[in-house]
Amino acid sequence: MATMTDQGGRPSGGDQPVTAPLLSIDGLRTMVSTRRESFDVVRGLSLDIYPNEVLCLVGESGCGKSITALSIMRLLPTPPVRVRGGTIRFRGEDLLRLSAKRMRSIRADSISMIFQDPLTSLDPVFTVGDVIVEVIRAHRDVTKEEGRRLAGDALTKVGLPDPLAQLDSYPHQLSGGMRQRVMIAMALVLDPDILIADEPTTALDVTVQAQILDQLVTEQRERNMSMLLITHDLAVVAAVADRVAVMYAGEIVEQAPVDELFEDPRHPYTQGLLRALPKVSTTRRRLDPIPGLVPSLQMMPPGCAFAPRCPHALDRCWTEQPELAADPDGRVFRCFNPQPFAG
Amino acid sequence: MKRVLARTVYMVVVLVLSSIAVFYAIRLSGGDAVAARVPASASAEEREAVREQLGLNDPFHEQYFDYMGRLFTGDLGNSLTNNAQIGKLITEHGKNSLILGAAAFALVFGVGIPLGMLASLRRNSWWDGGIMTFSVAGMAVPNFWLALLAVWLFASVLGWLPSAGCCGPKQLVLPAVVLAMEGMALTVRMTRSAMLENLNQDFVRTLRSGGLSESKVIGRHVFRNALVPIVSLAGLRIGQIVGYALVVETIFGWPGLGQVLVNAVLRRDYPVAQFFSLVLITIVLLSNWLADVGYTVVNPRLRRG
Repeated sequence: MATMTDQGGRPSGGDQPVTAPLLSIDGLRTMVSTRRESFDVVRGLSLDIYPNEVLCLVGESGCGKSITALSIMRLLPTPPVRVRGGTIRFRGEDLLRLSAKRMRSIRADSISMIFQDPLTSLDPVFTVGDVIVEVIRAHRDVTKEEGRRLAGDALTKVGLPDPLAQLDSYPHQLSGGMRQRVMIAMALVLDPDILIADEPTTALDVTVQAQILDQLVTEQRERNMSMLLITHDLAVVAAVADRVAVMYAGEIVEQAPVDELFEDPRHPYTQGLLRALPKVSTTRRRLDPIPGLVPSLQMMPPGCAFAPRCPHALDRCWTEQPELAADPDGRVFRCFNPQPFAG
Repeated sequence: MKRVLARTVYMVVVLVLSSIAVFYAIRLSGGDAVAARVPASASAEEREAVREQLGLNDPFHEQYFDYMGRLFTGDLGNSLTNNAQIGKLITEHGKNSLILGAAAFALVFGVGIPLGMLASLRRNSWWDGGIMTFSVAGMAVPNFWLALLAVWLFASVLGWLPSAGCCGPKQLVLPAVVLAMEGMALTVRMTRSAMLENLNQDFVRTLRSGGLSESKVIGRHVFRNALVPIVSLAGLRIGQIVGYALVVETIFGWPGLGQVLVNAVLRRDYPVAQFFSLVLITIVLLSNWLADVGYTVVNPRLRRG
């Protein structure tokens, strides 16, 4: 079992009891392999999700956030994407080694997922109620009427207007925000332990985004559920996260409680992300982007993945891969030459 | 509802226009309707008298309104060649055509859809290759040629099935398969591509994330989505079957509506040709109308708004 220090940044306050992780990813390697080439998109990722927390996984597009989530759910588009190593332990079992049938019984019942685009994510030719009832009946031995009642309750709970009438609606009859509420209701109807939300607000209007985010956090608190929220939006992270894991080029580069991460980021990539945020209060006019581009996953540098863009890279950064480890302050990041953050 | 109403009005308009077209076309096609009615030795005066009696000397539009008027009073008229009642011809031969058409229709969808699904689920396998080769061949070979090949192989060489006749199950096999072949091939292709397209949709992932079994996800959800384009073209398949029935019934000596129509046209038997054409046109229009309504049923996105 992992100890406190090498997991880092957890728990956020000293008053919280030390608990065992609910879900523990260790050394996850997920690869894309086609006839012409094969390369890792998740490169030995380790991450723990604790009970009752909101863990945000941040990083830019293509860094492997969604692939990580789909690896947990075992919903990768195989071929060409498949897990080639590591373990994902949940309640004493390695999800990656479960039978397909056993894995199905975990989906929605213990671990649920909601997706980015709520229009394409719902079956267009079935009513919302039909599908939710089907999900319930895949896991519970209830009648259709009972299932429908439960589905109605779930829709009521997520704040859908006129929920019972919406049971008979088709996805195209609902707005984007309503569809995402339906997705949430479907994901939560069986009261799972973990909800994985993959960019749940990215496809929505800004005003609706806030409502949906609010709903998710409310549900997480009321149900004592853990949430893995995947996002590239640091404003969202600041608003809801307990703990943050920053991902770059298929691996975690830093993880910390949300306050520590924003006040005192240690990894140069995290620092760059925070510096790149547009600020209203300062006099600086120009945005401050991180120079350079993400290295291509087909041709990763032998050393630190961030070295080519890092202003403080040492010679050893180009040849040696730094480990994700805790420093004397208990901060966990992956860097040979951390610099103090000057916002 | 509005959509259904619009389609219904459209159907009636097309039916009226086609009745005019049919009526004129057969009169413009040359030949002499009277030849069937009088002995070969009849004089020019006798022929003229029969022509006058049948009203064939009146202007076209008068003949048309005269004919349509009688149709609406339920008087379908008699054949010019053997004086048979057209109403009776329709019921006798219609029954045979219905049997053949229904068998072909059942093959088009009953065999086409499962084969297409099999090909999509065993994509890039030998199954897929075999089914798709069969499908390309089915579309490429013209049905009259296929009919001759089938007769040669199964009737002459192997002697398994009769080459022609009516109306037992044995006689039905060859004409039904030949009649269905092209529609079946198209249905296979369409089912396969629609299944593959929908298997890649995001909602499939959502359903799997809900813990549904693969048989539910594919057999129920992906299939129902794939059915939308298939059903929307079912009307076209019926139209195709009706059209091809003329050829297939003639080749296999299957005494259906198509065979009677072909003979009537060859003999310039105006009343029979006209009425049978109208019946076939009505069937095609009705099947298209049904497909439209069916499309609305399988595709909820068209139902409201």
